[in-house]
Amino acid sequence: MQKKPALRDLAEKLAFAAAVLALWEIVARAHVFGMRSEIIFPRLGTIAAAFVKNFVKGYAGVSLWTYLLNSMKLLLEGMGIGILLAFVFSGLSMVSRSFHNIYSLIVAVADLLPGVALLPVVIIIFGVNPGVIVFLVVHSVIWPMSRNLIDGFRSVPKIYVEAGKNLGLTGTGLLRRVYFPAAMSYIVSGLKVGWARAWRGLISAEMIFGIAAAPGIGMYINQMRTNMNNAEMYATLVVIVIIGLFVQYGILNPVEKNTVVKWGMRKL
Amino acid sequence: MKRTLAILLLVLVCAASVSAEGSARLTIAYQYGLAYAPVVVAMQQGLIEKAYADAAGGELEIEWVQMSSGADINTGVMSGSVDVGFMGVGPALTGISKNVGYRIFSSLSGQEHGLMSSDPEIKSLSDIIGSGSQIALVNIGSIQHIILARALSLNGSDPHALDANLVAMKHPDGMNALLTGSLPLHLTTNPYIYRERETEGLYEIEELKSAWPKENSFIVGVAAIEMHDSEPELYAALCSGLSAAIEYVNGNIEATAELTSQYDGNAVEDEIRYLQMGNYSAETRGVEEMAAFMFENGFIEADPGSYADLVFDNVKGN
Repeated sequence: MQKKPALRDLAEKLAFAAAVLALWEIVARAHVFGMRSEIIFPRLGTIAAAFVKNFVKGYAGVSLWTYLLNSMKLLLEGMGIGILLAFVFSGLSMVSRSFHNIYSLIVAVADLLPGVALLPVVIIIFGVNPGVIVFLVVHSVIWPMSRNLIDGFRSVPKIYVEAGKNLGLTGTGLLRRVYFPAAMSYIVSGLKVGWARAWRGLISAEMIFGIAAAPGIGMYINQMRTNMNNAEMYATLVVIVIIGLFVQYGILNPVEKNTVVKWGMRKL
Repeated sequence: MKRTLAILLLVLVCAASVSAEGSARLTIAYQYGLAYAPVVVAMQQGLIEKAYADAAGGELEIEWVQMSSGADINTGVMSGSVDVGFMGVGPALTGISKNVGYRIFSSLSGQEHGLMSSDPEIKSLSDIIGSGSQIALVNIGSIQHIILARALSLNGSDPHALDANLVAMKHPDGMNALLTGSLPLHLTTNPYIYRERETEGLYEIEELKSAWPKENSFIVGVAAIEMHDSEPELYAALCSGLSAAIEYVNGNIEATAELTSQYDGNAVEDEIRYLQMGNYSAETRGVEEMAAFMFENGFIEADPGSYADLVFDNVKGN
């Protein structure tokens, strides 16, 4: 029963993607940007060849894989720390009224500051090492995640909490067995926003702060741009999109399906 | 959907710029800092417009765009939205070797470069090789990186021996990192290098000073070949207007400082000192040598050719 609409959804998405690609190819072939259009707006074939070249040849003998692995490592580290801290602080906000008061002010202020604008201060505090990037990823995850968690916890109906208490749950038990599942819908949204923010934060930070000993994907984009290798630059953007789609459809959607959708809290 | 919209918008913008042609118009892109002082003078005093009016009798409308890297200007020239750009000799040679469609029409300025150290143990480049000491500079593949490679090569070392020690960050961030001890080395240029030289506790690595002295071209002006070929009067006005601006800077340092200090916020006395330490000249120096070095050491993939392939016929120098 579920299968047919799912196939239709997929077909729609594929058709849209094909249309965008076709438009790209038409614009590229029409030389819209003048005589040298091919360099700034390459054809799909050129970008595909550059995609392969990125992994086989890379830049200065270092394959894009190395850049990618470095970035993913920092990203996972930052997201892990960010999510954990968001849970801890949001949990504490549920327990203590004063903590909640102060923490919600911190969230409101800190969420407004773009990580990249903090870079000079962060370098002074942390020094020049990949820790700076991890810090910026944590910064981009923790605030939106905390916002969602607190909203989620606060929206748990009082009756659920009372029922839990009647069953003898207290403290962390109450948090784990009542608040957590009841706020799952918010948690999943928080994860989605947090992931997207982290990914973007990572790449923009790497584009302006690059450590040659631990080069990341943002630095790769920058090097391709500096060297006017535009096809390679677009191909790297494609890699970013592929990873983004993989996380969305391969990780976040199944999580959503097996929790909030299964429990009847939300439609997929 | 966003991409579609963006493409449509770009198409419209291109169409609009084509239809606006007819009267003499020029889009000139430049960047931030004192190395671009003559461009600011030419802009403020309308020197290129004057030169055009004197020679061709027509009115010239110039749109000045301030961009933040040579790579951005390269993209602008390629898409036809920028006719003239000022950038480091590195990105200019990259653009020429990539067939962006421009050549150098003038040198603009030469500036001192320096590598400053906060670690008394580090006195020469060979002290850094093999150590994990980090060097902040503005970008991997930037002119500063190439100058470092040149210093290493002049020293008999592998030009890429320090590539793994580099950290890319903007000049002011690099200076902050050096001053707070986050890293021990910073390779920079005017005006940061002068501030760092005046700071106690920092030492200069002398080998770098001679790798690309200020007499050599650092910032150059490039002009679209199409513009040069199709509008010779406009091209001539550009060259004479800019050389008048360079002459003005050299002859009126104080007045120039008054003008440029409004843009970068330095005190006028500092500005005068910084301007005096720069070398402003239309004649190129070292460009062919730089092109050969970049090609030999893999900073550019294609051979940019000899001096005649790099500059327009009227340019003097080497």
